Amino acid sequence: MIADLLERLRALVFRRRWDRDLDEEMRFHLEQATEEYIRAGLDPAAARRQALLAFGGMDRYKEATLDASGVRPLQDLTADIRFAARALGRNPGFAMAVVLVLALAIGAATAVFSVVNAVLIADLPYPYPDRLVRVFQRNSATNLWGLSVVDYQAIRDQQRSFDAFGAARGSVAALAGVGQPKQIDIGQVTSGFFGALSARVVAGRLIEPGDELTGAPPVVVVSSAFARQRLGGASAAIGRPITLDGVSHTVIGVLAPGLDELSGIDAVAWPALQMPTPTRRGPFSLRGIGRLKAGVTIEAAARDLAGISQRIFPLWQAGFKDRLARLTPYPLRETIVGRATQQLRLFAGAVVLVLLVAIANVATLMLVRASARAHELTVRATLGASRSRLARLVVTESLALTALSAVVGLGLAAFGLRLVSRIAPNLPRIREIALDGRAVEVAAALGVASGLLVSLSPVAAVLGGRFASLRADTRRSGGARWSNTLRGVLVTAEFALAVPLLLAAALLGKSFARLQQVDPGYDAASSFSVWLVLPASRYPEGADMQAFWQRAVQRALETPGVAAAGLATSAPPDNQGDVNNFNLVAHSVPPGGAEPTSPWSWVTPGYFAALAIPLLEGRAFTDADSSNAPPVVVVSRSWARHYFPGESAVGQQLVEGGCYDCPRTTIVGIVGDVKYQGLAGDGDGVYGPLSQSMSRTAALFVRTRTSPESFIRPVLGALRGLDPELPLAGRTMADELRGALADPGRWSAVLSAFAAVSLALAAMGIFGLMSYVVRRQRHEIGVRMALGAEPRDVTGMIVARGMRYVVRGTLVGLGLALVAGRWLSSLLFGVTPRDPGTFAAVTAVLLVSAMLACLLPGVRAGRIRPVEAIAEE
Amino acid sequence: MPGPVDLLPGTLDLLVLKALSLAPMHGWGIGQRIDQLSRDVFQVQQGSLYPALQRMLRKGWIRSEWRTTENARRARYYVLTAQGRRQLEAETALWQRTAAAVNGILRVRMADR
Repeated sequence: MIADLLERLRALVFRRRWDRDLDEEMRFHLEQATEEYIRAGLDPAAARRQALLAFGGMDRYKEATLDASGVRPLQDLTADIRFAARALGRNPGFAMAVVLVLALAIGAATAVFSVVNAVLIADLPYPYPDRLVRVFQRNSATNLWGLSVVDYQAIRDQQRSFDAFGAARGSVAALAGVGQPKQIDIGQVTSGFFGALSARVVAGRLIEPGDELTGAPPVVVVSSAFARQRLGGASAAIGRPITLDGVSHTVIGVLAPGLDELSGIDAVAWPALQMPTPTRRGPFSLRGIGRLKAGVTIEAAARDLAGISQRIFPLWQAGFKDRLARLTPYPLRETIVGRATQQLRLFAGAVVLVLLVAIANVATLMLVRASARAHELTVRATLGASRSRLARLVVTESLALTALSAVVGLGLAAFGLRLVSRIAPNLPRIREIALDGRAVEVAAALGVASGLLVSLSPVAAVLGGRFASLRADTRRSGGARWSNTLRGVLVTAEFALAVPLLLAAALLGKSFARLQQVDPGYDAASSFSVWLVLPASRYPEGADMQAFWQRAVQRALETPGVAAAGLATSAPPDNQGDVNNFNLVAHSVPPGGAEPTSPWSWVTPGYFAALAIPLLEGRAFTDADSSNAPPVVVVSRSWARHYFPGESAVGQQLVEGGCYDCPRTTIVGIVGDVKYQGLAGDGDGVYGPLSQSMSRTAALFVRTRTSPESFIRPVLGALRGLDPELPLAGRTMADELRGALADPGRWSAVLSAFAAVSLALAAMGIFGLMSYVVRRQRHEIGVRMALGAEPRDVTGMIVARGMRYVVRGTLVGLGLALVAGRWLSSLLFGVTPRDPGTFAAVTAVLLVSAMLACLLPGVRAGRIRPVEAIAEE
Repeated sequence: MPGPVDLLPGTLDLLVLKALSLAPMHGWGIGQRIDQLSRDVFQVQQGSLYPALQRMLRKGWIRSEWRTTENARRARYYVLTAQGRRQLEAETALWQRTAAAVNGILRVRMADR
C-alpha cells in the first residue's frame, strides 16, 4: 500500500524523468528486437518495422504503461488541457464564438442571480431578520393601511409578542442652519423603531422613550454620511443644532455607516416622533415595526394584535366604524420586496431560458466541430487512443472553454450589476446588491454544468464509435445517426426555449406601448410643478397656511406667460396624496362593515385649469368654498360610475373619514379621470377644497402659454419673494410623465435584449446545423442534381428539412408559453398573456428568421456542382 | 506444430516473477526468457509486458534500477523484492492447486470413457 503510494508519487513528481526512462526503455527494447530480426535475416529497415509491429501500437503501449503507473488522471488532465489549448488556438474563431455566447449567458445569469439573491433571498441586513414584522391595519385580504397614533400607543402599552415595537413616518423636511437650505428625506421615529432593527450608533445615543413625549426638547439622529458632509464628522456632530422645518433639533446620535435605508424608509435624518394626544382614531400615517420575541410565531402575534384591535374599537367607535379592521403583522421582508418579487422572478426565468438556449447552441457548435474533427479523432483512435481517452479529451476541451466563459462571464456580471442601479433604480434593497462569493460560486457552477452539458453530444458521438476507424463509411454508422438526432433535438430545444422569451418580451413591450398610450387625464406638455412644504414653526395655524397658499397662487398668476395656476396635495401620475375612507349616505355600508376608500386630493379652484382637467358635470370649486363653507367635493367620472352606476352623482352626499358627527359632504361636480396611482391604475379620485384641509404640503401646478421650462425660474423667484427660506425645485409635468414610464420601459428593454439574444442564437443554431448537413451531404446532393434535380428543388429540400426542426420547436415553445402565461399576467397592462395577435406576430418573426437562416445554406446547396461533388468521394 | 498460444489471463505476472526469481533482468530479457522457458509455446505480447511491470512495481513485488548490459548499453533492470518472492510462492502454490484440480478433472473424464 505504502509502496504503491510512493511509487505513484515518484512517478508523478518525477514525471518527466519517468517519461524519459520509459522512452529509453522502449528504445532499448526496440533495438534489441531489431537486432533479433536482423539476425534472423531481415534488412535493418524491415527489421525495425517488424520490431515495431511486434510491439503493437506505440501510443497504446505508452498509454497502458501510464495507466499502470497510476498517475494517469492528473497526467492526462494537464496533457488534455495543453492539447485543448492548442486545439482551440488553432481555431480561434470557434473558441471566441463559444466563449462569447456562453460568457454573455453566464454573465447575465450571474448578475440576475446576484440581484435576486440580494433582494429576494438574502436575510434582511439586521440582526434576527426572521423575527421582524410590519404591522398594518387590514379589513380584507388586499386592503391594508397604516397605523394611527391610537393604534401605536395601544400596541406599545398592551402587546405581549414583541421585544421591541416602534413607529416611523417617512417624509421630507426643509433643512436649514447647516450650509445650503435643502429638502432632505427624514424618518420620524420612536425609540422602539431603532430597537426593533437593532440599529447602532458610532457616536452619541439613539432616541429614547423620553424623547417621544410631547414638549420634550426636539432631538435628531443623523446618518454618518450626513454627519460627515454637513457637520464635520461623527463626534463633532453630537450636540449640534440643525433646523428641520423651522424647528431647531439637537443632534444626539450618529448612526453606523450604511444605515441610510431602514426597513424601506430612505432618510438622512431621524428626528424623534412626538405624537399629539389623539382626538380620533385616524389618521393612519404611521408604519408599525416590531421584533417578535424569540419563539413567538407570527400567528401568535396576529392573535395578540387582534385582541388589541377588539379592545380599542369601542373607545373610538364614534369616528371609526370599521369593525372588520384588524391590526395584522406581516413579515418585514415581504413588505419591503413584495412589489419587486414578480418582476425579478420573470427575469430569473428569462435569464435561465437564455442560458439554456446558449448551452444548446454551444452544444450544437461543439457537435458540428466534433464532426469536422472526425478525421483527427479517427487518426488518434487508430494510433491507439482509447474511446474513453478521446471522450475525456472532448470533455476537457469543453470544460476549458466553459471555464474561460465563466471567468469572462463573471467580469460581465460585475459590469452588469453596475447597470442594475440604472435599469432599476427603484428596486428595493438595491444597496445590498453586490457580486459576492456566492455569485462566484454560481458562475463556477454554471461554467462546469454548461461544460458537461455541452460535451454530452460529442462524447456520445465518440463513445458511439464514430471515430473507431478510418473507413469512410462510418459516417453512416449508428453513432452518426445518434448524434444527428441529438443535433436536431438541440436545435428544436433552442426554438422551444426562445418562443416563451420572445413572447414575454413582446407582451411586455405591448404593455409598455399601451401604457404610453394611456390618457393620463391631464395636459402634461405645457405645465410644471413645484412642491411646497410649510414649516409648523413659521406657519403654526391653518389660517397662516391658507394665506400663504392664496398668495403663492396669486404670485404665480402674476408671472408673465402663465395661463393658470393651482395647488393640489397630490400629483399625477404617481402621487395619490391621501387615501380617505368615506360612506355614501344613499348607499351606506352596514355599521361595522368596511367603508370604501379612494385617493383624496385637496385642491385650489385653479388646479383643474392648470392641468386642463375637463369639468364634465356640475361645478368645480370657487373661492366661496372656504374653510367655513359647507363641505363639498368634486369626483372623477369613473368614481361617479363606480359608486353611482346609472344615476347622477352630483348632489349626492357622503360621510368623510368616518366622521359621522361632521356635517355631510356634498358632491358638486364631476371631472375627467386623472391617473394618481400609476398609469396602469384606475381613474378613481375625490377632490376637496384645499381651504377645507390642514395640509402642510402641496404642489403648485402652473400652466404656461409656451414651453414650461422657461417659466420655472421666474415663478420660483416670485415664490422666494414670499418666503426666502423655502427650499424650492420645479419639474415639468412632461418629465414627471417620462419618469413614470421609465421603469416599465427599462424592464421591457432588458427583456427584449434577452429575447433578441435568444432569437439570434436560435437562428445561428439552425443556420449552423443546416450548413453542416449540406457539407456532409454534398455527395448525395450531387447525385440528385446529376439525376436532374434543379437548384430550386435542392434549396427547397434543405429549407424544408430545417423548418421541420423549427416548427417542432416553435410548437413546443407555444405550448410552454401558454402554460407559463399566468406568471406574466400581473406584470401586463392592457394585454392578456394569451394575446392572439402577439402570439401570431412572434411566431411569424421566428419562422421568418429561421427561414432566412435555412435559406443561406439551402441556396449554397443549390450551387453544388454535381461533377465535383461526386468526384470528391 | 501448433503456433504460439496467448497467455492465460493472470499468468503473465506469475511468469514474470518466476523469470525475475532466477536473476534481475531488463524488460526485453524477461520477454525473451519467458519465450525460451515456455519453449516458445507462449507468445508474450511485448506491449503488455511493460504495463505489467509498472503494475508490479507499484505493488512492491519488484523494484527497478538502471544498469549497464554486457554489451555496455544502459537498460532498466527489474529485481525481485522479498515481497515479490512471497507473492511468487503464493501464486505458484495457487497455480499448482488449480492445475492439479483441472488435471484431476480431465483425468476423471478419460477414465470414464
